[in-house]
Amino acid sequence: MSAWFSPDSIDDVLALVDRHPDARLIAGGTDLLVRRRREMSAAPMISLERVAALQGIEEVDEDGVLAIGALTRIAELAASPLLADHASLLQRAARSFGAPAIRNMASIGGNLCTASPAGDCLPPLYALGAQIELTSLSGRRRISINEFILGSGRTALATGEIVTRVLLPAHQAFAWQAYEKIGRRQSLAISVVSFAGLLRLDGDQRVAEVNLAWGSVGPTVVTAPELARWMVGKSPDQALIDEAAQRARAAVQPIDDLRAGAAYRRALAGNLLRRFLLQVLNG
Amino acid sequence: MTETTKALAVGASETRADAKAKAQGREPYAADNYPDGLLWAGAVRPGALQGVAHARLLGIDTAAAAALPGVVKILTAADVPGTNRQGIIHKDMPVLVGDKLRYAGDPVALVIAESPEVLRQAIRLVVVRLEALPTVCDPVAALADGAARVHDERADNLLAAAEIRLGEGAQRLDHCDVVVSGSFATPVQAHGFIETENGVACRAVDGSLTMTISTQAPFRDRMEIAHALGLSFDKIRIIAPCLGGGFGGKDGATVQCLLALAALHSEQRPVKMLWDREENLLAGYRRHSCRVDYRLGASRDGTLEAVHCRLVYDTGAYAHLGGEVMALGMEHAGGPYRIPHVLIEGQCVYTNNPVAGAMRAFGVCQVSFPFEAMVDELARELGVDPLALRRKNALLPGDTNCAGVTVAESTGIADCLDLVAGHPLWLERAAWKAAAPSGSRRGVGLAAVFNAAGYGAKVRDAAIAKVELTCDGLIVVHNAVADMGQGNAAAFVQIAGHVLQQDAARVSVRQPDTASAYPSGSSSAGRTTFTFGNALIVACEQLKARLINRAGLLLFVDDDSTLELVPGKIVHRASAREVSLARLVGFLRDEERSCLGEYVAPLCPDPGTGKGFFIGFPHVVFAYGAHLARIEVDLATGQIRVVDYLAVTDGGQVINPAMFDQQVHGGVAQGLGYALMEDLATRDGQVLAGDFSRYLIPGALDLPEIVSVACAGDEARGPFGMKGVGEVAMNGPLPAVANALADGCGIHLRDAPLTPERVLLALEKLAEEAPQ
Amino acid sequence: MSSEIVFELNGEQTKLAVSPTRRVIDLLREDLKLTGSKEGCGTGECGACSILVDGELRLACLMVAGQLAGHRLTTIEGLAESPLGARVQKSFAEAGAVQCGYCTPGMEVAAVDLLSRQPDPSRDEVRAALSGNLCRCTGYVKIVDAVCQAAGALDATEDTAR
Repeated sequence: MSAWFSPDSIDDVLALVDRHPDARLIAGGTDLLVRRRREMSAAPMISLERVAALQGIEEVDEDGVLAIGALTRIAELAASPLLADHASLLQRAARSFGAPAIRNMASIGGNLCTASPAGDCLPPLYALGAQIELTSLSGRRRISINEFILGSGRTALATGEIVTRVLLPAHQAFAWQAYEKIGRRQSLAISVVSFAGLLRLDGDQRVAEVNLAWGSVGPTVVTAPELARWMVGKSPDQALIDEAAQRARAAVQPIDDLRAGAAYRRALAGNLLRRFLLQVLNG
Repeated sequence: MTETTKALAVGASETRADAKAKAQGREPYAADNYPDGLLWAGAVRPGALQGVAHARLLGIDTAAAAALPGVVKILTAADVPGTNRQGIIHKDMPVLVGDKLRYAGDPVALVIAESPEVLRQAIRLVVVRLEALPTVCDPVAALADGAARVHDERADNLLAAAEIRLGEGAQRLDHCDVVVSGSFATPVQAHGFIETENGVACRAVDGSLTMTISTQAPFRDRMEIAHALGLSFDKIRIIAPCLGGGFGGKDGATVQCLLALAALHSEQRPVKMLWDREENLLAGYRRHSCRVDYRLGASRDGTLEAVHCRLVYDTGAYAHLGGEVMALGMEHAGGPYRIPHVLIEGQCVYTNNPVAGAMRAFGVCQVSFPFEAMVDELARELGVDPLALRRKNALLPGDTNCAGVTVAESTGIADCLDLVAGHPLWLERAAWKAAAPSGSRRGVGLAAVFNAAGYGAKVRDAAIAKVELTCDGLIVVHNAVADMGQGNAAAFVQIAGHVLQQDAARVSVRQPDTASAYPSGSSSAGRTTFTFGNALIVACEQLKARLINRAGLLLFVDDDSTLELVPGKIVHRASAREVSLARLVGFLRDEERSCLGEYVAPLCPDPGTGKGFFIGFPHVVFAYGAHLARIEVDLATGQIRVVDYLAVTDGGQVINPAMFDQQVHGGVAQGLGYALMEDLATRDGQVLAGDFSRYLIPGALDLPEIVSVACAGDEARGPFGMKGVGEVAMNGPLPAVANALADGCGIHLRDAPLTPERVLLALEKLAEEAPQ
Repeated sequence: MSSEIVFELNGEQTKLAVSPTRRVIDLLREDLKLTGSKEGCGTGECGACSILVDGELRLACLMVAGQLAGHRLTTIEGLAESPLGARVQKSFAEAGAVQCGYCTPGMEVAAVDLLSRQPDPSRDEVRAALSGNLCRCTGYVKIVDAVCQAAGALDATEDTAR
């Protein structure tokens, strides 16, 4: 059996990580303990559960940046009034995550570090422009989520670093927001395709700003920046919607797997964007 | 309250006798056994680890594993006494493989260790050298000339082939006004019981074995173990507690032979084998996948005239009950209709896929999809209402069914259809469909289904029930047919309570134990309440007569008809004389306190229409159902939401309405999983859907409020007029949903499950083909 | 490599020498012989191992002993200690929510978690709360009936504390 540590401060965590470079960090354990079932690893485990500094959601400065501790449980995201105001897309994703018990256990930090192409929190975090705070004995740094997640299951975490907070920029007034997760059943489902969209119209009812993000259609979340740029300044009419859906299908790089084929995922990616833009058109 | 002193009554929704203990988490399932001094046994299954499904076994090196502290023994084929062959009918499955792997889960070694952790480690340390052989994983390819043979001693990969012929057979189709046709495919389905395969076994000093197993067939298990390991069956005692689900997957040896083998090598220590979910999905049994080519012909007025279909079932590496699954499917392939000209051809094929075996609605749900989809297709061709078309052709008592059996009694399909016809869910369908939210389409689909109960011809379908008056004056039913959740034990309590006029607190059931109950067949085929229930009535009537006789002696009453059993006592109303059962029992000798009742189910005469069947063709008792699914399809994603589901079932008389509904709800739920999301997919014989994150069964948000309606009926041959309804409901959902898809969206899916992907791609194709 | 883990189990202060990385489900079933919690999948996908930790729904197959230290664990065996738990058990038995019964302990724990926070849920809310508990026997209909029945039987004066 493995050694077990349960520190209560970030400094203690970092010291342990330094002393035991092969140690596994355990937050909620909902990914780690599933992997461990097959792996039979003797690596020590460092539980983050008692580190109060990694918990909680708060507005950190006058600019309205929202900081979410890495150990914040998905259930807390699902219920947070701060999130409801500031980042409802992330809240919607949290509510679609797994099932009630899993939501009580899993953490946002865990979802980030697992970096699954299907991670439920990820598309909203990309669409919201999240920054990830990484802390080590050498100090603290912040990188965008795009720079943090490098590939399927791969992050930019350096040796000795842990994720401490997720930072969401100041709340902006996006009148149009959508989050959809399409799975093979209504709970306990790994997403087949997920979509997060934020859109603002200007005074002439043209697209002023749009952030798009799709999950499960590539090794990492796809944001299609060129598509977003193309939409800016245009009127969201039927022709734009049709063209945007087509461009979305071309922008994603899905694979065939047990849950779904690439052609279906491509079609879904376009259709979910279409559904979002139709809301804007009909709104 | 007087509740506890009110006699149990057949026909009432009595609370199940097992409900309280289960609700309190106190019911002792086989998996809950952790005796002191326990050893753990587990199989080495190298095919999955090395990615081969068909391979010659070159050698096994157990040295590293045996050296691990805590490993007690490692056994291989050489250590298996007896024939080293298990199986229900065809003994073709090695307990431990000595020659070659025929599927990815074939076990080559058995490890016995002090703890589950050491066991897991040791299994990984066993080195197995394999030489891959060509695999044959498609049943049609497996029948081609030159295909790799799964069993070298056989000439080919055909396990069984048969045909059913009525009238002019297929030739009649050339003369039908309308013929519709289609090719269908149904997937492999897992049982998905929450309690996986497991048991504990212990060998006594005298060499006898006592085993507690999660099993549907404790009496037959002894025979299977005895044959496989060269033991005497009467030195094997098997206890079958309540199962945490079975559905057919625990019918036939799963852990039993391996576990008994382990016990033989564990001195007198108890040994436990418990399959985790991954092992269940690899090495457990599963439903046969099936391909069906179907042609159905009718006259212009909608009278069904002819059906010709070919069914190919993939039985995987070992036979299990493959031939019988195929036979039952064939028997039902024409649907619950009058069709005078029939040719049904079936084949059951060995492949290097994991082993298919018994599963609820065994063989029948594979054919219910084609026959009901084709009836709807016919309705569209003829321009007639699909319910009216079904009603017109529905079997009536006295008709001959598509197997050539005259269904003389209890044939309620027409009544079931009439109940659907009068139900608001059907009557209001047009308005409901028109109210589909934007971006979706609504459709409504029917299915008329049936399912035989009982073993069928050439197999003795019998039971021996024992009912006992205990020394405390209480009633104990000695159950012999395992309760896997269907509630047969509770039904037996209710039956005994009814006949003996005792209340719930005074009647209990002892779950099957081969040492104290009597061989009564397996818990399968929708037969347990029917067959054992009939035997139980005999036993209870006998006990009742005996107790009344004895009471008469004690109370100085000459006339039996004036003595009455009531909760706790026997009374003579006229004189107010009475004797409690607790006192009465003191006057009985031990051998008088128990009564045995025997019953043999009706024989199934050969209709002369079948060729090539071994056993199990035909049957004479059938349950019927008419189902209605109302669905909503998200046009952007292809997702189907089943909004409403109605299942009307003819189960004869109903012993316990709540339990009747429980079975129907459960059958529909499992059927909706089969329809929408379940696929125990493999590639080159390797399991892809290897755990519960990849093999999906429906959760509470995936299913509607299922409505169950019992159609009034009476099956004179059944206990209190009932017949088994455990399986029939399983058959409706796939065709009902497929028909609803065709109705709502104009797409005709022929491959199950009806996944959102298949739906969306079909919708896109339809849109492309539409006139511009 | 065992440590002493101190926690409250079904209302009793408990000290156990156990490896902190031993799965809680194994600790319960094998070590403590509390076999009411079941293992159906080992990967958090079926809910049969549902327990309450500090009154909150969790899964014993995805927890290790070290995570129990200092916390309050309630299993099915301790559920009836509270009026809410006893009421839920009674409703499950009476409403026909129990068939094979293997999912039942997990379902009841999830139901108690729901009703302790939301005493009067709609049927859809019940389904959502139970969406992590798989049942293969019932089709969920009578389970939802049971939870609603339990909710209906509780009035404002009854104690819904766990």
